[in-house]
Amino acid sequence: MRGLLQLFAAYGNFLLFGFLELLALILVVSFNQRQGAIWDNSWGMATAALDQSADWLGEQWALRDELIKLQGENIRLMEQLDNARYSNAVRQDTFLKDSTEQLFSYIPANVISNSTIGTANYLRLDKGSNHGVRPNMGVVSSDGIVGVVRAVTPHYSQVMSLLHRETRIKAALSNSGYFGTLTWNGKNARLMQLEAIPKHAVVAEGDTVVTSGYSQLFPYGLPVGTIKSFDFSGGGNFYNIQVMLRNDLNKLRYVYVIENEMWKEHKELDEAVNE
Amino acid sequence: MNNTVIWNIIRFFVLLALQGLFLKRISDGWVTGSLYINVFLYPLFILLLPLQTPRTGVLLLSFLMGIGVDLFYDSPGVHAAALTAMGYARALFLSLYEPREGYKLNDKPTPAGLGMNWFMKYSASLMVLHLLVYFSVDAFSPIYILGILLRTFFTFVSSMAAVLIFVFIFMPKR
Repeated sequence: MRGLLQLFAAYGNFLLFGFLELLALILVVSFNQRQGAIWDNSWGMATAALDQSADWLGEQWALRDELIKLQGENIRLMEQLDNARYSNAVRQDTFLKDSTEQLFSYIPANVISNSTIGTANYLRLDKGSNHGVRPNMGVVSSDGIVGVVRAVTPHYSQVMSLLHRETRIKAALSNSGYFGTLTWNGKNARLMQLEAIPKHAVVAEGDTVVTSGYSQLFPYGLPVGTIKSFDFSGGGNFYNIQVMLRNDLNKLRYVYVIENEMWKEHKELDEAVNE
Repeated sequence: MNNTVIWNIIRFFVLLALQGLFLKRISDGWVTGSLYINVFLYPLFILLLPLQTPRTGVLLLSFLMGIGVDLFYDSPGVHAAALTAMGYARALFLSLYEPREGYKLNDKPTPAGLGMNWFMKYSASLMVLHLLVYFSVDAFSPIYILGILLRTFFTFVSSMAAVLIFVFIFMPKR
């Protein structure tokens, strides 16, 4: 009450002014035919515009639901692919349809921040440990690989982009199977370097580069890009290959985090070797 | 002091009657049937209120005067909206044009009281504001902006002439 009084003491005249003007304008639109007509018309247009934006918002929500549904469907399909399953078959004739187990599963996520400038780029996703994301999981989009999860919080995760000077990802030539290491020199956001492909491999411009499946991060055969150019500068026994990324990391929106269902066994093996 | 109050009450009714009964007919084409000149003299009531009038009082009086004129013009709220805006702005312009030594207790907002120069600045500013708001509310749409500005200009000339005539007839320099 005291605050109200103080408010009136400080702004009373302005409030009175506003009140009187409001009163006058209400009189104007209520009792003057012309102004009233203009008012009704404008008010009608304003409410129509409001209606329209409400409709638009509703559609956006519907699209969001649709998107989540489609992501779920994509995941179901991707998880049925051969490269996402672990095969128990040891001999051709013992192969049975149910002798495979799920090896890779996918978690859908939205990119909420991204950078491609500089030499150490990170992305942030809107899924975290609550949704099953852990550090050292691979991240892909529908166009190809994106990066590796470095840190997670309950709701968010930080992904080291492919465009990072410390990126080392095993990639292979899809036609011959020779594998090398994918790195980035920090210059062009669409070009990565494939190192350690031996000199005796046959390489041609336009050859497809895929993930090798030699890590626990990515299944075999995910697209990376195509060979743009290659040479032997530096005089070593290995090619210098420039790979044009299939994925444009500048316009990334929806991604999938790859979970390796057997990561614990890999960890046990790693520890056993290290002991 | 009491005298001032009575004089202002009289001025209120005189200006209201003058505006509603006489000046309105000029804008309606009283003389020849084709003479469309607006003369607004009633804002003079707010202009001539004593300098010490509380702002709340100025606001209420301007609303009242506006509604009174609206009754004659059959345009509820239009004059009231404009005159209330002017009444609110009065204090702002008074402090803007305050003489270097400040207002004295006996100063009156007239040419005789504070000088012709001061009165012209003061009355012209408030009249322009009043007319702009009046014609804006009257047109009620920004698409008539050219008409609003033209009417404001012509009405400003005729109204200021009327204001000066009134002031010099009834408040001559002593």
